[in-house]
Amino acid sequence: MSEPLKIGLLSFAHVHAAGYAMQLQGRDDVTLLTADPDHADSAPGELRGRPLADELGVSYVDTYDELFEWGPDAVVVVSENSRHRQLVERAAAAGAHVLCEKPLATTVPDGEAMIAACAAANVNLMTAYPVRFHPAFRALRDRVRAGELGTVLSASGTNNGIIPIAARRWFADPVLAGGGSLMDHTVHLADLLDDLLEARAVSVYAQSNRIVHEEVDVETGGLVVVHYADGTVATIDCSWSRPATYPTWGGLTLNIEGANGSVSFDAFGQAASGYDDTAGKAISLSYGPDLDALMVAEFLASIREGRVPSPDGEGGLRTLQIVAAGYESARTGQPVPVAS
Amino acid sequence: MSRPLAVGVVGAGGIAHPHADAWHALGAQITIYSADAAAPALAERYGGTAVYSMAELIASCEVVDVCTPTFVHDEIVLAAAAAGKHVVCEKPLARTHRQAVEMIEACENAGRQLYPGQVVRFFPEYAAAKRAVDSGRIGQPAILRFSRRGAAPLQPWFSDVGASGGILLDQMIHDLDYARWVAGDVERVYAQITGGDGKPTTAYVVLTHESGALSHVTGGWGHPNTVFRTTFSLAGSTGLIEHDSIRNPPLAWDLADSGSAGGTLLPSMDFAESPFLTELREFAAAFSGGPAPRVSAADGLAALDIGLAALESARTGRAVSPKEIAR
Repeated sequence: MSEPLKIGLLSFAHVHAAGYAMQLQGRDDVTLLTADPDHADSAPGELRGRPLADELGVSYVDTYDELFEWGPDAVVVVSENSRHRQLVERAAAAGAHVLCEKPLATTVPDGEAMIAACAAANVNLMTAYPVRFHPAFRALRDRVRAGELGTVLSASGTNNGIIPIAARRWFADPVLAGGGSLMDHTVHLADLLDDLLEARAVSVYAQSNRIVHEEVDVETGGLVVVHYADGTVATIDCSWSRPATYPTWGGLTLNIEGANGSVSFDAFGQAASGYDDTAGKAISLSYGPDLDALMVAEFLASIREGRVPSPDGEGGLRTLQIVAAGYESARTGQPVPVAS
Repeated sequence: MSRPLAVGVVGAGGIAHPHADAWHALGAQITIYSADAAAPALAERYGGTAVYSMAELIASCEVVDVCTPTFVHDEIVLAAAAAGKHVVCEKPLARTHRQAVEMIEACENAGRQLYPGQVVRFFPEYAAAKRAVDSGRIGQPAILRFSRRGAAPLQPWFSDVGASGGILLDQMIHDLDYARWVAGDVERVYAQITGGDGKPTTAYVVLTHESGALSHVTGGWGHPNTVFRTTFSLAGSTGLIEHDSIRNPPLAWDLADSGSAGGTLLPSMDFAESPFLTELREFAAAFSGGPAPRVSAADGLAALDIGLAALESARTGRAVSPKEIAR
């Protein structure tokens, strides 16, 4: 076996950071080093920085300078959304491949700059879309592409969850997050459709509201309709509309309608359910595949094999362009074209 | 009812059956007129009398129940109002806004009542969810999702948008009306229709309510064996209510020779009171001076305007206000 890859995990800001850290720590082909220097910005009570690293049992340094001096082969960027660009550009300058949390950035120009920086440095840029690695989605994609549904006509998806502010307050910070549920929860489904249809989004209609958790400063509910160049119409419900007593964080579903039939995908449907008087909350026991593991495996394989990962930065940018058009549509009340 | 209510059912197609069945259960005296030859069979099945002209029907009844295709609702309702009859009219109330307004005005001017057959308000699962929302169980409605799928109707007038309004006006008006009942008036409608021309039809409508709530409505007219299925999900500021018609059956059979389970336009109404009976009982009580039913002609018009806005949106690709339709 070749030398372990040196992977740096940049920031513990995102709720997915701990999962990625454990994923990487558990692999014997990786040496992991983490840093979370901006943890002082976090809301009171959030476990960040060295205390979280200690709890996870992962190596930690106090600054990004120390982490980059270590000479990582690759980094995983799990900062607040608006801070992705600076970290990705720094990683590219250091010659490190990048796996960047979704959304790729909070603005299209930031996303374009990140892609350009990684291209100039000849390093991989992958966008963290774990759901497309679900074996059931792979089967769906393969069978739809093989024509089992006939022509794909339309799709509707939901990515609904509990608002993530209890764990990480910045998710409702308009600057750090770049928005609310529309920014957070449109892109997973947009990525699945990007993978499935292999067609460009041409226009977007979106509406948003802030009724669930009206006290925050960003939208918490949203409905998005995307038109693709191949004629497919897809709707995405990106709402943080699960109540606090929901048994899990939320879920993701996608229904595809074709000329010869339809197919429904429930990414987190593999779960046993029950009741728990002690917790006062319903039980949900997920036994589905470890999507993070499959995604991280692709990132590492792309580095070892010297090839472009999938989904790449361009995929991240295409989905971000849909979100950007969605915000413009929600503002104007009419469909808007997607910049390309 | 102290004395039998005399009801004249116009039309003897699919929807006339649950109506005639319900009127029979209510002890009404039923006459049936249909422009085709189907009235006698319906009359025989539900204990009514077939008549052979509109004039004969109107002379025979106190209440006219309009179960015809949409595009002739207006002429029948106007004739009924002119003769001083109360009216039940199947949904959608009419094919155009102007027709519906004329129908409402004619009944008002005649001092007679008019109720639209927005029967989903009377389905027990939808009625229970509405009561729960009204009692605050989910807080303020925020994101509402509805779906309704069944086999594509076979009679050609359903797929003739000029006659029926197509899937948006004929089928999805159920959920458009219910969404408005739960979350209030609608200020913006965006709609897309896919498929058709022999392929399954799927339509999506996004409603922006004046309250800020958003509704996502899916309608499907599928292949002939499509199992009829409705779902709803009502997410509010403090709670969530969900229902799926195929996940909550009181009985589920698995037989070696089951034949086809699909192909119906109407949901199974076994083991609960027919929502059509609940609906027509409430209307009949109002005709006899009882309380106002849970749905009014104005509600029927408002649902129609949302549906017409959806049609206009699907045609133009723009978001449309129901107020534009009402102009």
